[in-house]
Amino acid sequence: MNTVKGKQTSARSKWLNLLSALRRDQSLYLLALPGILFFLVFKYIPMWGIIIAFQDYSPFRGIQGSEWVGLQHFTELFANPDFALLFRNTLAISLLNLILFFPFPILISLGLNELRSVAYKRLIQTIIYMPHFLSWVIIAGLTLLLFAKGTGLINELFTLWGWPRVDILTNPDSFWVMVTLQAMWKEAGWGTIVFLAAMASVDTQLYEAARMDGAGRLRQIWHITLPAIRSVIIVLLILRLGDIMEVGFEQIFLMYNGAVSEVAEVFDTYVYRTGIEQGDFSYSTAVGLFKSVIGLVLVVVANRVVKRMGQEGVY
Amino acid sequence: MQKVGKRNTRSLTWIISIVLVLSVVLSACGNKEEGQANGSNGNADYPLEVSIMTITPSAVPAADDNVIKRAIEKATNSKMNIQWVSNNIYGDKLNLTLASGDIPDLIMINDPFGSTFTKMVKQGAFWDVTPYIKDYPNLSNGIPDIAWETTKAADGNNYGIPRPRPVTGDSFFIIRKDWLDKLNLQVPETTDELFEVMKAFVEQDPDGNGAKDTTALAAYISPDDLGWGGNLGPVLGAIESSFIGTNSSWKWDESQGKLIYRELLPEVRESLQYLTKAYSSGMMPEDLLSLKLTQARELFKRNQAGIIVDKTGTMRKIYADDLKKVDPSFKYTDFYPLTNLNGYNPKGAGYNGILAIPASVPEEKMKRILKLLDTWMNPEVFEIQQFGIEGTHYEVVDGKKVTNTEKLTADNASDFNHIVNVIDLPWDTTGETDEETQANELFKKVEAERDKTSVADLSAGLQSETGQKVLSELNKKIQDLKAKIILGREPIEAWDTFVESLRNDPNVQAMSDEMTEAYKKRNGQ
Repeated sequence: MNTVKGKQTSARSKWLNLLSALRRDQSLYLLALPGILFFLVFKYIPMWGIIIAFQDYSPFRGIQGSEWVGLQHFTELFANPDFALLFRNTLAISLLNLILFFPFPILISLGLNELRSVAYKRLIQTIIYMPHFLSWVIIAGLTLLLFAKGTGLINELFTLWGWPRVDILTNPDSFWVMVTLQAMWKEAGWGTIVFLAAMASVDTQLYEAARMDGAGRLRQIWHITLPAIRSVIIVLLILRLGDIMEVGFEQIFLMYNGAVSEVAEVFDTYVYRTGIEQGDFSYSTAVGLFKSVIGLVLVVVANRVVKRMGQEGVY
Repeated sequence: MQKVGKRNTRSLTWIISIVLVLSVVLSACGNKEEGQANGSNGNADYPLEVSIMTITPSAVPAADDNVIKRAIEKATNSKMNIQWVSNNIYGDKLNLTLASGDIPDLIMINDPFGSTFTKMVKQGAFWDVTPYIKDYPNLSNGIPDIAWETTKAADGNNYGIPRPRPVTGDSFFIIRKDWLDKLNLQVPETTDELFEVMKAFVEQDPDGNGAKDTTALAAYISPDDLGWGGNLGPVLGAIESSFIGTNSSWKWDESQGKLIYRELLPEVRESLQYLTKAYSSGMMPEDLLSLKLTQARELFKRNQAGIIVDKTGTMRKIYADDLKKVDPSFKYTDFYPLTNLNGYNPKGAGYNGILAIPASVPEEKMKRILKLLDTWMNPEVFEIQQFGIEGTHYEVVDGKKVTNTEKLTADNASDFNHIVNVIDLPWDTTGETDEETQANELFKKVEAERDKTSVADLSAGLQSETGQKVLSELNKKIQDLKAKIILGREPIEAWDTFVESLRNDPNVQAMSDEMTEAYKKRNGQ
């Protein structure tokens, strides 16, 4: 009896604590309310649509009237002979991104941080931010203009110099590297913003002290700048891992062509083809869901690992 | 800031929160207007309120208060709410609209045999208009039987009103006559002759600028063209079809008494070898796979390619006027359509999409929509989109209507053809200039010639359930492999291996059996 009562009172006191905490910080909670509502209305409620992945969804019958098929679409996906191909391509492009693209903005930021002239630094920053604002359609068009085998500018120049023409757009061997470099060209500059902000917050006294001790530029970077932005790097890396199954639909879709199909078909383009073009809504939702689950698992695991290593994770 | 008391901050917080909450909630339910107004008036003399979704080729679609739209509304006693969708994205937009379940009262289905639409028809999501058509003379007589016939669903009923198109004048080869004349060449009649012409177009400097910078075919291969013409796109597909003698995906084999899947035919292999040779000889753009329709058209317009595949009606709007800017000596009659290649030219299916009415529309309203289309097809109503409005778009001179083409185009007049089009009008060849009139007379003559030998797609309107499931993946595989062979990335033997695997594929066998059965059933065997 006593224990039950004790539990009740502790439960009650928890409620009371919560209430008083709510009352105390009511302004803060009120300010958070619109944000919470936003996520509920625009993110969580629409998520119910995911259940069509377990149905044979027919637009005419709606979610209520459609037939339940359990995990049929998932087994279909795993049994599909193209599954291994999709998985390999998605992973390959993502990993290349991680290895080549991810460190690149850090290197640029380190370089920019060392610049003495503020005006010059600003100018460079503005220039390298620019490509971020171009849409992929424009960038795909530019790539075609520059690298097309027949009429591309680069190839015209090569011919002029007596070099052989290179095939970049329809070459399965170079496709992965090409899309990675393309993404770097577009987004690397924009990616420096966070790192530069983190570097700006480093106490200048540290550098002065290091200089007094005779540390050169590289030493300063290694012992002061890099440790200062370490937590930012880790957070971004974890978030990037969550996107490992996303390789940027627009870019791949625009660069896709028949000659590179076996290296260019990724989950995103597959979902587009089956879902939007063929109207196989349930199946494509299942593929999308599978992709998201992998991303979620990776984020959670990476976060655990990082925390165990004594660093700060994303949550 | 210090002066503001705690009370004030708190009430300020309240106000901010409430405003923000309201804005979230309001934006969430912002998309629910109308819906009420529709359906309220089934019959009566009130103007019929109808929502329509269709395609538009124009960059800027007709506005709601467009003069021509207003005139048609007045003549048909209706109030139309038209959603114009660009033809580049119509397929995607249609699938999304169907998936949303919020379907306009009259919706253009560009492919009545697409999987989403077919599935929904089976579930009863659209009106079967078959029993009603006889009550509307213009629908039953003004739309040719072939169009009604080829758009029938698997159960033999019509789930939409076909948008009729002439069976003559399907897309086929158009060649630069001035280039032929300059190089002293005849108009090609076989694929072998075409090869010689293409060779000359590449090697003998037809544009006379002293540089070897021309190609022959303004071709491209794009995933947008999956599912027809051997999955190769209009230009290369037309060559393959000329080898086979049909643009159909199926060919009747008399000895076996069944339909044979196009890709299994030996002619496809032949045409692949032909195209591989043509590609390596520079007879089509080197970046065949990276180009899209518009870029391929550019080649022709910029005087860099001598052969296209299109309808003759596209002459001025899409090609000739632009080409004249680059090559002033080009005449409209140099836009020369071929009659036959290997004795073949394609016959159109007689329609381009159908107009379907969702079953959620009440019967009375559905009838009024049919009535609207019927009235719209009356000559005096249809003339509104043909000639526009007197005084604004045309003047009557000597009892003849003289139109102002520019003004008509500016008011999107021809866009309304994408809802209602009347096709059995006599073809008036009179152009704005003598040059155009001569070209039109040439086109008319060629079309009459083509009509004698044209071959229809015998599988048009036939359906196979297995095909619906497997074809989209299969089509893509076929396109990819053909592209690689043409580019020289894979040897022709890769095709033989593929065909062998197709032959043994149980899905392909099932598909052939189902198609044969449907074909026999339709022919009353």
